[in-house]
Amino acid sequence: MRIPCPYCGERDAHEFAILGDATLTRPDPAAPDAETRFHDYVYLRDNPAGAHEEWWYHANGCRQWLRVKRDTRTHAISGAVAARADATSPRDAA
Amino acid sequence: MSAPNRNRLASGGLIDRSKPLAFSFDGTDYHGYQGDTLASALLANGVRLVGRSFKYHRPRGIFSAGAEEPNALVELRAGARREPNTRATVTELFDGLEATSQNRWPSLALDALSVNRFLSPFLGAGFYYKTFMWPASFWEKLYEPVIRRAAGLGRAAVEEDPDHYEKATTFCDVLVIGAGPAGLMAALAAGRSGARVILADEDFLPGGGLNAEAGDVDRQPAPAYAAQVTAELASLPNVRVMSRTSVFGAYDSGTYGALERVSDHLAVPAPFQPRQRLWRIVARRAVLAAGATERPIVFGGNDRPGVMLAGAVGTYVQRHAALPGQAMALFANNDGAWRGMLAASVAGAHVETIVDVRTDVAPALVAAAQARGIRVLTGAQVIATHGKTLRRIEVATATGRERIAADTLAVSGGWSPSVHLTCHHGGKPAWNETLAAFVPGTCPPGLTVAGAAKGLFGLGACLRDGAAIGAEAAQALGFAVPAPDLPDMADEAFALTPFWHVAGSKGASFVDLQNDVTAKDVGIAHKEGFRSVELLKRYTTLGMATDQGRTSNVTGLAIMASLTGASIPETGTTIFRPPYTPVSLGALAGHHRGKDFRPVRLTPTHEWARAQGAVFVETGAWLRAQYFPRPGEKDWLETVSREVTAVRSSVGLIDVSTFGKIDLQGSDVGAFLDRVYINGFAALAVGKARYGVMLREDGLVMDDGTTARLAPEHYVMTTTTANAAKVYQHLEFCLQALWPELDVSLASVSEQWAQIALAGPRARDVLARVADGDVSNAALPFMGAIEGSVMGGVKARLFRLSFSGELGFEIAVPARHGAALAQALMQAGAEFGITPYGTEALGVMRIEKGHVSGNELSGQTTAGDLGFGRMASTKKDYIGRTLAARPGLTDPDRPSFVGFKPVDRARRLRAGAHFLKLGAPPDMANDQGYMTSVAYSPHLGHWIGLGLIKRGPERLGEHVRAYDPVRGEEIEVEICAPGFIDPEGVRLRG
Amino acid sequence: MADHPSHDPLAGVPFDRVPPAGAYGVTGEPGIVASTADEPFIALVIARNGHAASVAGRLSRAFGSEVADRPRAAITAASTVIGTAPGRFLVLSKTETDLPGTLRALLGAEAAITEQGDAYVAFDLAGDKVPELLAKGALIDLDPRVFRPGDAATTVLAHVGVTLWRASETSWRVLVARSLEASFTRFLIASGAEFGLRLDGRAPGRG
Repeated sequence: MRIPCPYCGERDAHEFAILGDATLTRPDPAAPDAETRFHDYVYLRDNPAGAHEEWWYHANGCRQWLRVKRDTRTHAISGAVAARADATSPRDAA
Repeated sequence: MSAPNRNRLASGGLIDRSKPLAFSFDGTDYHGYQGDTLASALLANGVRLVGRSFKYHRPRGIFSAGAEEPNALVELRAGARREPNTRATVTELFDGLEATSQNRWPSLALDALSVNRFLSPFLGAGFYYKTFMWPASFWEKLYEPVIRRAAGLGRAAVEEDPDHYEKATTFCDVLVIGAGPAGLMAALAAGRSGARVILADEDFLPGGGLNAEAGDVDRQPAPAYAAQVTAELASLPNVRVMSRTSVFGAYDSGTYGALERVSDHLAVPAPFQPRQRLWRIVARRAVLAAGATERPIVFGGNDRPGVMLAGAVGTYVQRHAALPGQAMALFANNDGAWRGMLAASVAGAHVETIVDVRTDVAPALVAAAQARGIRVLTGAQVIATHGKTLRRIEVATATGRERIAADTLAVSGGWSPSVHLTCHHGGKPAWNETLAAFVPGTCPPGLTVAGAAKGLFGLGACLRDGAAIGAEAAQALGFAVPAPDLPDMADEAFALTPFWHVAGSKGASFVDLQNDVTAKDVGIAHKEGFRSVELLKRYTTLGMATDQGRTSNVTGLAIMASLTGASIPETGTTIFRPPYTPVSLGALAGHHRGKDFRPVRLTPTHEWARAQGAVFVETGAWLRAQYFPRPGEKDWLETVSREVTAVRSSVGLIDVSTFGKIDLQGSDVGAFLDRVYINGFAALAVGKARYGVMLREDGLVMDDGTTARLAPEHYVMTTTTANAAKVYQHLEFCLQALWPELDVSLASVSEQWAQIALAGPRARDVLARVADGDVSNAALPFMGAIEGSVMGGVKARLFRLSFSGELGFEIAVPARHGAALAQALMQAGAEFGITPYGTEALGVMRIEKGHVSGNELSGQTTAGDLGFGRMASTKKDYIGRTLAARPGLTDPDRPSFVGFKPVDRARRLRAGAHFLKLGAPPDMANDQGYMTSVAYSPHLGHWIGLGLIKRGPERLGEHVRAYDPVRGEEIEVEICAPGFIDPEGVRLRG
Repeated sequence: MADHPSHDPLAGVPFDRVPPAGAYGVTGEPGIVASTADEPFIALVIARNGHAASVAGRLSRAFGSEVADRPRAAITAASTVIGTAPGRFLVLSKTETDLPGTLRALLGAEAAITEQGDAYVAFDLAGDKVPELLAKGALIDLDPRVFRPGDAATTVLAHVGVTLWRASETSWRVLVARSLEASFTRFLIASGAEFGLRLDGRAPGRG
């Protein structure tokens, strides 16, 4: 599998580490039901057959965390953006 | 030795008669020629019996001329290079080749185990499942060894492979798989456009079917045309022709696996050449032009040596000028096979009889055959064969039965397109009624199929289709493709009547020659309900082993379909998974074997430590000094105890460069550290370090370490050796994904700084002689961290930290100075008897001191379990805080961290022992926790341990059992506080 | 059949020691010449949030070659600036004895500077066969028609993390973590032996 890193270009999946679902947002720890929300955030995962968005870390490259859109059935990758907003130069986003 | 081969034509073929090659088979010497395969050379020498079958030990001959070969598997070479199960049909002949038949005892001609044939009623489908059900204990001792000897393939070499293998990656615009007519034209069309093209072909001679073609192409012999196209391709700088290269798998994102047999055609690889090279080919587009595989008709005695695929006969005659026999017959259901045999006859083969199941064979074909003196029997079937190797065939015609002399029977039941790679992404082939064959279904993205692989069985059609598909692939990538100059080729009509199995056969009719699966076995599977293709395969073993059913799958399926009354597509499809052909494990490993299995990291003091006599230990990727034995020491324990005693009584040093070291810079570092550590860091003063514990978001401990503040906006964090990469990745996730607004920059400095820990009551005395500045208690108090210099101007970071419990420092210098620092410290400490120590002594001292380490940071422990509960801040949020408060993680009954001493001080403790209350029976319900770490404490003179036990800190002084069923030991131990030495920390602050 | 000798270019070389300088593999004119250097001065520049473009501009002006926020190597006689990640640049200099100090003065609050001069060993690889050798460890396209002079990549070679760039038509440079020098050199020798590889001694760096 090859992942289009917005900075490095297309790279073999061997260079990356996967973390999983990138659609989740870390809950507000001050929320009254924080424990329930964190439980869901840490443990509950959808396992869609089809389009999915996942965290991949370009460990042997630019060390960016990427949101990768991948079809779980075909491994077709339709895009990847850096966790920081601007894909090519995220640190200029501010 | 270069007398003509017995069965070699005097002229013709693509062999070089001026280059004889000597070889041996089962100890007998023969010769063949450059251009031969082992199979063609054996046939030319009249060798027809080449192996014994897998299960029944039946004599077997050469069946095919390609990768689909089920029978002619031999052991190649000898000694350390002995390689089993090589297919003689794709083994390129070389001078000195040594081949041995396999699966026979005592000899190929006389095989004692061929009695298995008479046991065949008992060895049929499902025999393994039915016969060896009980008693279970017999399986390992009796059944398996006997079966292993009786049924089997070749023997692997027992010595280490002396050759080397490598892996490589390459990229192209268009990958063309197969260099037959379609593949050559596809590569030519794409190549002329300027696209980067790779043409990979498993044969040593590009051309595929063109090399066995008798007719002309483009007004020249077909092989000459193939050579001309190949020469043009080789002349194009953007085209790479890879011969002897099998593309064996289609993987994700246009990645293909291929095996290049660099040196398999040589007795020994050329100097420094690999034996094989595994390629990862990344292609934007791919053209599959893998051709088609002929399939047999199933009839009685169809496994007898001398029965051969008709196309293979054509290949041996046309390409190798080798006659498989002297009296040939054909048994077929299609016109193509007729044409091949007529051409063979013209070339000099003695074709005497043609048997065709059809009654409506084209009159022109019949006339052509008869004109060559060939007897034609239509509407006829071969029902049996006779002879040790084939002597006679028995034919049933409309009028009766007849025995006809023949030493070679060419068989053709039609052709199956080689759709294998189209299935590697889960695509299912589709049944084509006209061709009576599976053709490609949904293909992997970017892959298109050309020529015979998609069911085009005419040479002209294949050439035209290859050119069109190759052009299309290049055009899709934006390349302009010049108009092709196609050879003018008209194709003969394709005519075939599906026919699979001669129902009135006499004797065993084999569907799968390699696994000895007969038509009767398919019938048994049907009767017993194993009717789906997948069950049929597993119950009968049809389609398994090295040939993966190339010549048997479709036939087996067709026979099952006829039994169920369903159509072939209703019955199922054949699905193929990688690899297409066998791949050696050596090629998959490449350079990475033995000590090169994975990269090894060496510390800056590695050479110095070696000079000190260190014994090294692998800790993750690192090689670290484990201990430094001295002459006269009887074992490691004596050495380690000496090292510990030296540190506690005077001073020692150890390289701790392997810790993860991360520089953090920015205005928000303090706030960031507060969010990733359980304890507070925002208030850490410049010049000070603090111990911190990090959790995962699930509330369990991830890592621990110290972080020092070197400047207002500059901190340096250390992690454990094991978790260095994990922590860095975690911190980057926090900064990039969770809190991108924070002004924090991370840089790994693990490689930049060598770090040496100096410990013991004389540590400061030693450091003072090496450091350029003041290292007094006032200048560098406990947990102090300063930047300075050592050894007269070498930049350094000095930390007052201790893992051993002694007065301790860690000195970091730029890595190139690491060894010099070790030497300087040794020199400065000589008068104190400074002692280098290794990871074992480090471990002993941390256990004596009661520090947690990897054994306790197991991924199952909370901060509370490890005694850090009170460190956790309640004034801030941090990663893991919310879930650490879950009832399951705050249960007071959780096993918690304490120390242990043997009640009988003479006894040894064992890590991994489980704790039980005195008198409680050893079962899960009574399990109280387990011992995580043990050491012999030279300070106390007995073994000590650390561990996790229910409500540990409340039970100090209580006696429990440490139960170790693995070693059969049980010891009464006393629970104690985890600090065995200087629990007040007086030494640290000295 | 007597066993023929294997041709192991690393026979007798301890796996945990950097192989000595010398000729490895086939004899004759080496297809590859490899040398290593303690690169005199290296520092990592990390642009702080929002300053990547400005930092690239300042580096361009200071080092006299166009530095862009992408994987390229800006090369002059005295320096090389390589983009390794968004807003991150490795600066190599032969002349700046206090490179971090120079960079701090140049970039002020716009960037964090980390000294890395001891973190890497720089390999210089020269010869026509270098791309073929590197293909035995790389997962990226290093075809000389595609990977042009000035192109750079942070990637892996034979499981070793590296930053590499093409310094000229015929030379490539590879930065390897210091702890992995021995393993990486073994990969070079094993993979370069078929072309003949000459490993030159460590070029003198700073003391």
